[in-house]
Amino acid sequence: MAPAQAAHVNLSPAELSFLRSSLSQTPPIRLDNTKGPRDFRSMRAEYDVLPGANGSARIALEDGTEALVGVKAEVEKSRWRPAAGQQESMLTVATGDVMMRDDNEEEDESKGKGQNAWIEMSVEIPGFRDDDPLPVFLAAMLTESLLASGALKDRLYINRRFHWKLYVDVLLLSPPLSYPLALLSMTAHLALLTSRLPALKSEKDEDPLFDDDWDASVPLYPKTGKSTSIAQADKPPVIILAMAVGPNIIFDPCKEELAVADAVLAIACANATSSTTGARIVSIRTIDPPSHLTPPGIPNSMNSATGGTVPASSAEALTQRELLADTGVWTPPRGGMKRDLISQIVKMAVETGGVAEEVIGALQAIEVG
Amino acid sequence: MAVNLDRRRINAPSGGTLAPVFARTVKEPGYLQSLRPSRTRGPNEPRQIFLQTGIVPSASGSAYLEIPSASSPSKSTLIPPTSSLKIAASVQGPKPLPRSASFSPSLLLTTTVKFAPFATRHRRGYIRDSTERDLGVHVETALRGVMIGERWPKSGVEVVVTVLEGDENGWWGDVEGNGTGNGGGWGLLNVLAGCITVASAAIVDAGIDCVDMVSGGVAAIIRNPEAKDAKEKVMRILDPCPAEHQEIVAACAVGYLASRDEITEIWVKGDVGTDPDGLIEGATHAAVGSLSVLKEVLLEALEAKFQTQSADANGGLKRKQQDVQMTG
Repeated sequence: MAPAQAAHVNLSPAELSFLRSSLSQTPPIRLDNTKGPRDFRSMRAEYDVLPGANGSARIALEDGTEALVGVKAEVEKSRWRPAAGQQESMLTVATGDVMMRDDNEEEDESKGKGQNAWIEMSVEIPGFRDDDPLPVFLAAMLTESLLASGALKDRLYINRRFHWKLYVDVLLLSPPLSYPLALLSMTAHLALLTSRLPALKSEKDEDPLFDDDWDASVPLYPKTGKSTSIAQADKPPVIILAMAVGPNIIFDPCKEELAVADAVLAIACANATSSTTGARIVSIRTIDPPSHLTPPGIPNSMNSATGGTVPASSAEALTQRELLADTGVWTPPRGGMKRDLISQIVKMAVETGGVAEEVIGALQAIEVG
Repeated sequence: MAVNLDRRRINAPSGGTLAPVFARTVKEPGYLQSLRPSRTRGPNEPRQIFLQTGIVPSASGSAYLEIPSASSPSKSTLIPPTSSLKIAASVQGPKPLPRSASFSPSLLLTTTVKFAPFATRHRRGYIRDSTERDLGVHVETALRGVMIGERWPKSGVEVVVTVLEGDENGWWGDVEGNGTGNGGGWGLLNVLAGCITVASAAIVDAGIDCVDMVSGGVAAIIRNPEAKDAKEKVMRILDPCPAEHQEIVAACAVGYLASRDEITEIWVKGDVGTDPDGLIEGATHAAVGSLSVLKEVLLEALEAKFQTQSADANGGLKRKQQDVQMTG
């Protein structure tokens, strides 16, 4: 029964009420008053920080939260599976009549061959055990968004007997000062974007042999300019955290702001493959806002110390509490989020020139410049 | 692993084994595909639900949900073509927190989702794995918004959900984890929606104050390459059974509060594109469907409770008289 939640914010009901009212103004006044509702906190990012990994990145937020991601790839033997496409060649071998397969479809061979188990994600947050809900939830969301487009796992296919196994290890170096999902996802994005795999020298079903020249290695996420008809290169997804307070939608909330949220949504976006729109959604999840666990305020009318009268019975106390709805006394939010609010948040994230496009563009710029 | 190895017996390969491949499925190219079940319901028609509350006498609230398999068991194969869903939920509490626990201004909710080891074709261990923990977080999010936690300071409630039979992630004939361009794990969404509905019923049965009844629903976008009609190539369906569809593009599970028109829990996965509104709306429609069952069942349970109470009031009197006769 021990609560294994992220560290609660220690704000009094009066402080919560003040924060909430300033955040629900138009325009909202955020905790950092220089920021607008769509502004992210400033951060320092670098990549290729770990010499022993195929790709790595480190991002530090201004409040001291710091994340490190290493991507490592290993060659692994694939387990043979009887699949519909392999039956004929298999049968001919069985009857002793060795026939070479027609290899003209080699180009497209890796399509649809990737398996979900080839990508392994681990999230480590100091102060949490591996099986605590927070790391498990974060790892599940990050993995899910990575697997949503089958393109990445298909690129891990080497040949029928071997494949790459990709280990994405996400480390939060500091204690989780704010909800770390967005930070971890951006760091993982940058690490994956800059990961490189050794170039393959062997052909087809031979035992894989790789070029030992690191300069010849191929990026895990190929850049544009290939013969593909796709307008934009595939990029890893990025998760954006958004919260709703009254009528306002605020992106990248900090810990104190989350404590007064009505609802919190995590949206995983990948860049659009056709260049018509800003981004496409690969996953959405609601996150339980910590505001549900905040202490309710006691109004002066119910407090004998401030001249009120303490309700005689608990039933009376309940009735009086329910009448407090719009008096400004802090009550933890109830219920969920309206459907049109969800669609509004999603639209703000994925539209052309929206938040997702901005974030993906900014992370791309780190690598380029 | 090696430490726990049984040295007295011939052990199975450490990597597990593959299911047997029968000659007929290899010889006749079309045979395997002919076993694939197909959806007989309409696109907007959810499966039937069986729900009952008050099944665990020692718990303060409990419920059992079953979505029976739509297709009749076939004679030619042992494996059932589609999977069914059987979930039991029990609620313990609200009860005071132990003295050692720190002060909590509101009701502390703990949800545990556990698959029985035999729940799916792939065996689950006795220790909860990451998918089960992840599901637990989802169910907790769905319930946290509904319960009025501030009315029970310094207390806790435990919701224990046991999945006795879970929906499969795909048809058994398809190679697992080999879908084209998606993350797989579609059965989990159905399990989540079932968990939300059954946990909601158990919470009402336990008599915990809620703002509304939450119910779960799933909708999916499927791609059907064989359809002649262009409209049917990519279509939205409610309450998908993953075994019945060759390719699911995206799916969404919601925990929906119908009378407030609010969503406490949403889980969208897959390649949704830019506009998930249609998918979310479909899921809420499915949730409204399961809500109608939920309401009906809770009303029935309440009526039955009052009837037994009045019967007890009469019966209790008689028993007392009998007791007196016995001692005398």
